[in-house]
Order: sequence, then structure tokens, then C-alpha cells
Amino acid sequence: MENKRNSQTIAEYIKNWSRKHSLFIMAYGTGCGAIEIPATLTSRYDAERLGIRGAATPRQADVLLITGYLATKTLKRVIRVYEQMQDPKYVIAFGSCTINGGMYYDSYNTINVLEKYIPVDVYINGCMPRPEAVIAGFQQLQDKIARGEADNGTRYKENLEWYRANQHRVIKNWRMPDYNW
Amino acid sequence: MLEKEQKLLEILKSAFQVEGKVIRNRRVEIWDHKEMVPAILLMVKTQLGYKHLNHITCIDWLEEGKFQLVYTVFSHTDKLTLFVKTKIDRDPAIMPNIDDIWDQANTYERELREMYGIEFPGLVGDQEFILEDWDEMPPMRRDFKTDVYAEKTFFAQPGREDAQDVRETITKRSGEEIPEFAKKYSRD
Ligand code: SF4
Repeated sequence: MENKRNSQTIAEYIKNWSRKHSLFIMAYGTGCGAIEIPATLTSRYDAERLGIRGAATPRQADVLLITGYLATKTLKRVIRVYEQMQDPKYVIAFGSCTINGGMYYDSYNTINVLEKYIPVDVYINGCMPRPEAVIAGFQQLQDKIARGEADNGTRYKENLEWYRANQHRVIKNWRMPDYNW
Repeated sequence: MLEKEQKLLEILKSAFQVEGKVIRNRRVEIWDHKEMVPAILLMVKTQLGYKHLNHITCIDWLEEGKFQLVYTVFSHTDKLTLFVKTKIDRDPAIMPNIDDIWDQANTYERELREMYGIEFPGLVGDQEFILEDWDEMPPMRRDFKTDVYAEKTFFAQPGREDAQDVRETITKRSGEEIPEFAKKYSRD
């Protein structure tokens, strides 16, 4: 059967359409950006009208929000959270700290480029991005999902060795459990 | 004016022959050799009522080859803050342990041990305190080059191809000149 979005089958289209309208977020509140999440989710900006709402555990979540700089210690926990999430999963990174280190670019204990350690779907720039920017970032992610281009989990699995090598550079004493993602 | 402060200083001077001065209203500082610090702290705690250890800080005087330790104590009866300062060698950095005077000093001393590499003989507690898997020089020492470390450990994001020098672009647009003294901050 012919469909308008001819790169996708009807089944895929429906699947992506429903995924994009129910994004359960796991807000990993690092850095300064955690403070923007309550504003985004509550009545003023009301992200829930777009199907964005909080999830209690990584297993229930679709989107991992990294809301700012990551200390090397925190990166360890983030990797564990990320690996516990089930496919399909997406990552949104907030602020210049996750893009290039921001004002902590020369700090000995914060990583600079998040993309090297876990795959990122959408970056939101700003220091800190305001809730409007956060919602715009979510909409960008929704478009990406609708186009069927959001393949965070697969990218991680395919390039696992590369990601692991980068992670080992920072986490020198690797004592992490293996998760069945 | 400053009678309480002067009195405290007099007492300490006569008891220990320390040097010191009244900084201002409610702030007194004294300085002495490191061997004397535990005795002074014990004395002010038990006899003068300076029961509250606010914190222990360290200042790195790299050029002198010294660490300065500052013990800040507070009296709830006098409402005075007393700074007890001492300078110790940077290498090897050894300081008498005072966690038998105040238990909470243990936390500060473990932090100083990790961040500056100061040894406190007899200090109990894990070597690892805040940092995880740290195998470099203690990071708060001033000769630890944090940017060099960050460059070799983390990845730098390459700049954008079309990135512009903000000031040059703006001055060109408005036909101004960048003054001579400010030229050194331009990109190339
Ligand atoms: S980008 Fe700015 S606001 Fe965000 S975590 Fe970094 S310093 Fe904080």
C-alpha cells in the first residue's frame, strides 16, 4: 500500500507516531539545568500537553535528560542509568556543558563532550536553556522520532566498543554491572 | 571598642607567646608553628569556650613552598571568631592530627589529604574521600595543571568552521577600530 511518508511502512508510521506522543522522561538532575525541569513540566509551560511526563525508574523511561555538566563520578552513574533503559530510548543533553564543556572546559573532574560517552539525539544549547528552548528541543526529538531517525539504542549497541573505550579513559577502575538492554 | 578582642589576644599572647592581631570587630587571628597548633586549639576549646570548629582551610603558597592552614573556631558565649594560622612545608606536607579534639576535624583532614596531599599522622579513614580512582597529583595543589589534565583526559570539541571573532565582526560592521592594547585578545 502506498503511503505519503513513503520511506516508512504504515506499521512503522503508526509506531513512531505513538512513540512520539508519549515520552516518559528520566531527568538525571546534574548541573544547573535540573531547575528548569519543574518549570517545564508544571502548569506554566505544561509539557504534559505534548505527552512529556516524568518516569519513576530508568526501566520505565524513554528519554534520558542530562541537564548540565557531568562530573566523572556522575558519568559512571549516568552510564548505569542509560544502560538500564530499554529500547527505544533517547537522550537529550542540555546546555553548553554537555556540548563542549561550557565554562568547565578545563576542569579536572567534568567531562567535556557527552557524545563521546553515550549517544545523544538532541542538544539544547544555552547556559541554561529556558523552558521554551527545552520544549523546542523535545519537539525536535519528536520530529526525529516521527521520521524514524531516532536510533539511539542501536547506535550504542553497534558502536559499543568505541563508547566503552572512551568510558574507560575516564572511569579508570571499571566495576560496573552488565545490564540486559 | 574591640575590648573583647583585645582581651582574647592578650590571653593567647601571654599563654603561648604567639603573634597575632585583631582583624576587626569579632575577628581575631593568631599565627604560630605547626607543633603549637593542637595545644592552642585544645586550650581555646577547653578553657576559653571556643567549642565550635567552623572549618579548616588550606592555602597553597607555591612560590614560598609552603601550605598555610587556617583553623577557624567560634565561641558561642563571646561571639568571637578566632583564626589560628600556621605555615607548613609543602614537601613533605605533614601536620599534627587534631581529630581527637574535634571529631569533625576528621572530615576536613581527609579532604585536605586528598585535595592537597597533606599527611596527618594517625588519621583514620579511607584514603579515597571525594574523588574516585584518582591517580594524579592532588588536584588542588597549584602546580597541578588542570587544563593540561583535562586536555589529555577528556575530548575537546573542535570549533565551528564558520565561527567568527565576535569583536572583529562587530567593529568591522560598525567601522570602528580595535584599540592597540586590546589587539592581543583577537584570534589571530
Ligand atoms: S551549561 Fe551553564 S547552566 Fe548548564 S550546567 Fe553548564 S554552567 Fe550550568
